[in-house]
This record gives sequence, C-alpha cells and structure tokens, in this order.
Amino acid sequence: MIFSGIEILFFTLGVITTLAIGTTYYFNKKLTFTAGTWATLGLGIFLLIFCIAWSCSSVLEGEPRAASMGLVVFGIPGLILLLLGRKLAIKKPISKQV
Amino acid sequence: MAKKEIKLNENDPAVSRRDFLKIGSAGAVLGAVGLSSITKDAAANRLDKHLVDELVTIHDEFPVEVRADYVPPRNWDHVQYRSFFADAVKAIGEEVDDEIVADGQAFAQKMNFAYDDSKIGYTKTDKALLAGAWAMNNFSAGPSPAGVPDFGVNTWEQKTKKNPHALFDNDYVAKEKATFKSKQEAANQIKRAAKLYGADLVGITRRDKRWDYSKFLNPIPPLARKAFAGPPSPEQLEELHNWGPDKFVTDWSDFPFVPKTVIVMAFEMDYEGISTSPSLVGSAAAGAGYSKMAKTPYQLAVYLKNLGYQAVSAGNDMGLSVPYAIAAGLGEGSRLGQVVSYKYGPRVRLAKVYTDFDFVEYDTPKSFGVMDFCKKCMRCADACPTKAISYDKEPSFDPTHENKDNAWYNIKGVKKYHVDARKCFKLWGELGDDCGMCMASCPYNKPNFWHHRLVDSITAAMPGPVHSFMRQMDEVFGYGNVEDHESIKKFYSPKGKSYDGH
Repeated sequence: MIFSGIEILFFTLGVITTLAIGTTYYFNKKLTFTAGTWATLGLGIFLLIFCIAWSCSSVLEGEPRAASMGLVVFGIPGLILLLLGRKLAIKKPISKQV
Repeated sequence: MAKKEIKLNENDPAVSRRDFLKIGSAGAVLGAVGLSSITKDAAANRLDKHLVDELVTIHDEFPVEVRADYVPPRNWDHVQYRSFFADAVKAIGEEVDDEIVADGQAFAQKMNFAYDDSKIGYTKTDKALLAGAWAMNNFSAGPSPAGVPDFGVNTWEQKTKKNPHALFDNDYVAKEKATFKSKQEAANQIKRAAKLYGADLVGITRRDKRWDYSKFLNPIPPLARKAFAGPPSPEQLEELHNWGPDKFVTDWSDFPFVPKTVIVMAFEMDYEGISTSPSLVGSAAAGAGYSKMAKTPYQLAVYLKNLGYQAVSAGNDMGLSVPYAIAAGLGEGSRLGQVVSYKYGPRVRLAKVYTDFDFVEYDTPKSFGVMDFCKKCMRCADACPTKAISYDKEPSFDPTHENKDNAWYNIKGVKKYHVDARKCFKLWGELGDDCGMCMASCPYNKPNFWHHRLVDSITAAMPGPVHSFMRQMDEVFGYGNVEDHESIKKFYSPKGKSYDGH
C-alpha cells in the first residue's frame, strides 16, 4: 500500500477546494455577488467539502454509519445552501416599472 | 474565429479562459510562496500553541480538590485484592466480603477455564486470544494488576552488580551517576526512552504520598516472587521456612530508597478490541495493555538504574495510577473513574516507575474540558448494565451510590465521581471478562483520526448545553456501541488491514 487513503483524500480535498474557490471567483466576476450570496455559497462549499472529508475519513477508520450520517448532517445542508446561493447569485434586481 | 465568451450580465466584464488560467496560475504561485515561507514546523507549532492556549488549561497544582481528612488507601482496599487474595486478607485480621469473594471466584473460573463456542466473543479462539494477550503480564508481573507489588519485573531489589549466574544482566544500579546539562534535557531523554520501549504517552511528576498506597499486603514468599537466577541462598531458604502472615504487610519503611519522582506512562489499547466489550476479545485488548505495562516500565527502570539511580517499576501496584497520570499531565479524571487522555480517551492502561532521580523537569496537570463534558454526557452511566457509574450531576467528596455506607473500596475526600466497584465487579463475575463497556461507550474513545480531534476541540470550547447535543450526535453517528456482535466480526475481519505491509 503506497497510500493509506488519507493522503489521497487530502490531496483531492485540496484540488476540490482550489476548483471551488476558482469557480466562485469566476462567477463573481460575471454576476457580482452580494454579501448574502458570498456567505451562503461560502458556507455551502465549506459544508460540502467538510462532508467529503468527514465521510471519507469515517470510511477509512471503519465507521460506515458515521460516514452515512456525515453525508446527511453535513452534505444535505451544504447542497441546500449551494442551491440557495445559486438562486441568490442569478437573481436579477427588480427594475422599477416606468 | 471569434473567441466565445459567456456573458450572463452585460454590465460585467467578461472573464476569458486566458484570464481564468492567469488567476489560477497566480493563485498557485501565491500558495506555493506562502507555504514555503511558513515552514511546516512553524505553522504546526503556531496552530498547536494557539489551540493549546485556547482549549487546554495548564494547572500549577493538582487540579482536583482533596479534603483535609483524605487518607491514602492500602493496597488491599479494593474489591479485586479482597476477592482474589481473600485468604491473605483474612490472615492479617482484616474482613472480607463473601459476596465479593464469590464474584471474584466466578470471574476467575470463567476467565481461566470456560469458553462457549456457541457464544460470539466467548469461543475457544477468543479464549486463546485472551490467554496470549495476558501471557507477558502473567509471566513477568504476576499479580500486579490486583495491586500486589514487588513481584517479578516489578521487584524492589536494587542490585549493585551483575548476577554472576547470568551471561547478560543489566538490572543493577550503576556506580557512577549520569549527569545532564539541564532538567529539560533529562526529561527529554527519559521520555524518549519510555517511548522507545513502548509507552504511548509519558509524563513526569513528583512523588506524592497522597497517591501511594500507605501499606502493602504481599502474601507471596520472596523466593517465589522472581524467576530463579541461580540456586537459592541459605538466607532465602530460611526466609521461606519462616514465611507467614506476620510478614505479609510491609510499608514504605521497607522500600529500598526514598522515591522523589514518578514517571507515568500510558499504553493505548486496541480500538477495535475495546469496541467488542463486553467479550473475551475486549478483555484480550485489556490484557495486551497489561502485558505492555509489564514490559515497558521495567525497561525504563533498568535504564534509570544504568544512569546510576534507583528505580522500581509498577503497574497497578505501589499507588493510584489515575491521580498520578493526572498530575503528570496525561489526562483528566472522568465520570467512569478512569483517566481520559487527549489522544486516546479512556482507552489507556497506566503504569509507573518510582525513582530517586529528581534533576528533571516536571510536567504539570492539564485539563481540556473532560470533566465539564462528563457532567452532561452520562453515556458510560447509561452503558453500564449494573448502574455502577454515578448519575450525579456534580462530582462529590464522598460516594453517593446505594452501597455508600459500606464503600470501603471508594477513595473518600477527593472530589470526583465515585463508581460502585461492588456492582461493577459483580458483572465481571457474571460475564467472566473484564467488561469495559464504560470505556467503549465514552465519546472520547475514538480512533486516532483528525476529525475526532477537531470535534473534541470544538466541544471543549463550547458551553454545557452543547455537550448534551454532542453526546446525542455521538450516538446517532454510531460510535460507542456496546454488546455489538458485529464489532467482533469486524475485529477479526482482514478488511482494511494490511498484515504483510503491502
């Protein structure tokens, strides 16, 4: 065994984090996020990355139930926040009716 | 061909692929420069120091209140001794409790001679696992787990020259004393030696008479306490001939030197093994810990003797390991009565080395929120089938359990949670193993993974109500199950284990 799993996990987390930051920055350039959007997306991304980290670590330590619960407790709120963040990001400002 | 750009908002400047790559490259360069400018060591040290400052309290004094009327116990003031050595206790005119004696006999009978191939965790193969686990303790430290000192490797003898009958023998106090440049250097070298010999945690504290047994009952004739290293001398044969209850009890006046320092070691017990509690597999995990306790402290004692100082190794004998471990900074007290260490939780066995060497930097007690967490958690109390563990919200100086009026086995005058050892030992007799359900269920008992350290740190920083929530989450996430047959299958399963190292 060259890698025990934990090294691959943290390397992958690094890649995912870099991509997530890059992508968020890219869309911010296009859409100009509000503070609320930043907070929602940031928390969503953090929770999803933490969910991956937690669940993979739980599998590696041999606790599958903890891994499943990690997906539920961290993953679902993370997904919801990401979707909400997306909605906030693409929402057009209501123009005044003339 | 014109470059296609995504434009979601006409007012915003578009980011081309080239720009995006530039951003990515710049980020990578900045990251690399940033990381190389902060060495791994410096970053880890800074983070660790910050966390320690925030979450770990360092105490100058022993962090548990001790009442003025506290009296140190004798080595026979606990249920195991008065059960397994009932005849010796009676011989010196002390009382024994027939019920506890019967529990001990049932325990010994089942553990030593019984197995049941139809009962998961109690089969012949589990029994063999247990036997092998305990073998080194049984051979070299004998009854030390029950509190009997001066036996086998834990001998009090301080020879000053090599045994003439042995080709190799280093177990003697060297004439010339080694010196160290500083107390810190001495502490570093002693701790490194302990680690080399197999200790998982090690701390150094001053000898404290409060935690030493005030008297020792040892019914084993001196000649039978060690493997023969040559023919017995006439004096030894005379001593054996005259051996009797009048010589069973000794105290510190018979000890060969005045100890000044106690080196406390903790040994991790196998996580998967303890998770099988209660079973013979769980007891094997404890037994393997006891065998480590027999080996490592003796090696450290010989090391100290070769430095020119007197030293005696000890497992459960000589004194109370829990307060010594707290004093040496290895962990905190807990509801279940065991030390909860930062790295392994309560899943540790403790051992000690007494020495007259005192030019050494002493460790200080550290707390990281265990007792606060225990106030709310009560997972161990729920896990214990006999309800031997207190449900009191706050620790107390005296036992509060239903046997409190006859709780000669409880340490009175120390503010802690008092376990009803009588009930606990009864379960040992019923099961034929040494249970461990409280330890297995404790939320601090986790595999050594980063996310548990994180949760522990967050929990320590949070107020009381969060602790109850964390206890619930621990259960929901599937940790700390007891009486779980799946855990025994998991223990033996080769899945996720690499036996050949590939």
